[in-house]
Amino acid sequence: MSGRPIIASTQGFERDVTRWILRGYTVLAFTFLLLPIAIIVLMSFSNQRYMGFPPPGWTLHWYEAVREQPRWLTATINSFCIGIPTALLAIVFGTLAALGIARGDVRFRKFLLLLMMAPMMLPHVIIAIGLYPTLVDMRLQDSYIAVIIGHTVIGVPLVFITVTASLRSYPASLDLAARTLGAGTWQAFRRVTLPMIWVGIVSGGLLAFATSFDELMLALFLTSPGTETLPRLIWDQLSFALSPTLAAVATLILVLSVLLQGFAVYLGARRSALKRAQP
Amino acid sequence: MRPGPLTDPAFPPTNAAPRQQYRLAHGKYWSIAREHAWMVVPPVAFLGVFLLLPLARVVFSSFAQPTWTLGNYAKVFDESFYLRSFWYTIEVAFCVTVVCLVIAYPLAYAIASSRGRSQKLMSVLVLLPLWTSVVIRSYAWLILFQRQGPVNSILLALGWIDEPLKILQTSTAVEIGMVHILLPFMILPLVSAMLKVDRTLLRAARVLGARPVKVFTRIYIRLTLPGITAGCALVFITSLGFFITPSLLGGAQQTMAAMMIEQAVSVFLNWPLASALSTVLLAMTVSLYLIYAKLTGGEMGMALK
Repeated sequence: MSGRPIIASTQGFERDVTRWILRGYTVLAFTFLLLPIAIIVLMSFSNQRYMGFPPPGWTLHWYEAVREQPRWLTATINSFCIGIPTALLAIVFGTLAALGIARGDVRFRKFLLLLMMAPMMLPHVIIAIGLYPTLVDMRLQDSYIAVIIGHTVIGVPLVFITVTASLRSYPASLDLAARTLGAGTWQAFRRVTLPMIWVGIVSGGLLAFATSFDELMLALFLTSPGTETLPRLIWDQLSFALSPTLAAVATLILVLSVLLQGFAVYLGARRSALKRAQP
Repeated sequence: MRPGPLTDPAFPPTNAAPRQQYRLAHGKYWSIAREHAWMVVPPVAFLGVFLLLPLARVVFSSFAQPTWTLGNYAKVFDESFYLRSFWYTIEVAFCVTVVCLVIAYPLAYAIASSRGRSQKLMSVLVLLPLWTSVVIRSYAWLILFQRQGPVNSILLALGWIDEPLKILQTSTAVEIGMVHILLPFMILPLVSAMLKVDRTLLRAARVLGARPVKVFTRIYIRLTLPGITAGCALVFITSLGFFITPSLLGGAQQTMAAMMIEQAVSVFLNWPLASALSTVLLAMTVSLYLIYAKLTGGEMGMALK
């Protein structure tokens, strides 16, 4: 399908030049994208307190330091305790919304679409300023529930987008066929819809989890010292000092994210391989 | 196909009054679409209680606290600090959007026109930063931009500068950090628009004698316009609410709207003022969001996929 760059395809020498320029540019742009990540990883193994370039020697000292501070472990556990329920709730609400809006005969469809996408577009600080007094009124402010609710609000659009995309990848008549052949609502969902959209559901849920794991603003407003998440702890530590311990934490989080992302990509790849296998 | 309840909502034809006819068309038959419609109730209720009500509360308390007053807004529009900060926010958002577009367009083109393994590799590399925490990425730039940091040491070693530059606490630092974080949001919609371009049109234009530059400006850019709109809107709107990057990389001169709101709460403990500031930022964001939704014909954000 997508062959060599058509715009650049003039003849001979001129074509080679444009292609090489594009290639060089791509390398430069990716360097810019990946440089900060590389720096973090390098610094976490550097034996110097302040980043010189290149680092004079290597050490695992900062990882030891992370292990010795129980606060990091607590914050990590907190982040999981908040991220997993957030992902599950976002999956429930996001999938229902996608089914209702993409397949349902709903009124105000445009408004509903805007509403579902809104948390992604609105500045988190505004959501936080509004949610805080609301949750205080409900006496939830010091519990995990407060920040789980906050993160679910911003997680719903992510699941909504991925599930809507997978709903569009197959005709709605399959569900209708199941229902006219006698399946109940649940059975049709379980046996027809779910197998078609589960990749969307899982990748949306992973996105919601990752967002919760990374979110700072709502965490600043909605967590207390007992429920502080990793980004909040990193933020607090940043205002004290720039220690390579933070780089070690960041590297560990990076490894976790890459594993999760690898899993999501693997799911997607398996899915498309399955699709290709069926004529 | 024979007319029937599945193909024609007004079947069977009746002589009933319009209202009854409507009921027959929309109410008489079971339809899977009507069943699905009920599913929007729980998510709408959830977002209603935990998104719309809180937002309404922000707007309400900006007018109603401490008493019914416009005083909060008087403060926002009188004190030059707040107005300047809003203006600065718009300025930064604009710069970041333009720079993102300029950097992302050729890169998206390279991704869209590559194939197989290299395309997959490049997509993963674009997504990789997206999966790294924003706090951590801003922290990385903080290290990079320090007086003794890698950027200064490399520039010094190359002999381009004689003494370390002060990069931190300038708008440049804030903008570079934000461009880095928002770049994937520009690349993804562009790539998906570019993959939809029918390449035979480009070939046809070339065959008919158009120079490559003309093919690019007259055809390619126009065909990828939906991606450009989606990417720019996404980046611009997201920039307006940025907090982490400007607080870490900027100084007092680089106070953006979200920082100002957070300060109003955590430093001045002035919730009514924070509400008024939030309402102004909310109005800006929502109006842009509605324009964006209009431009993309209600398909917004789906371009993200």
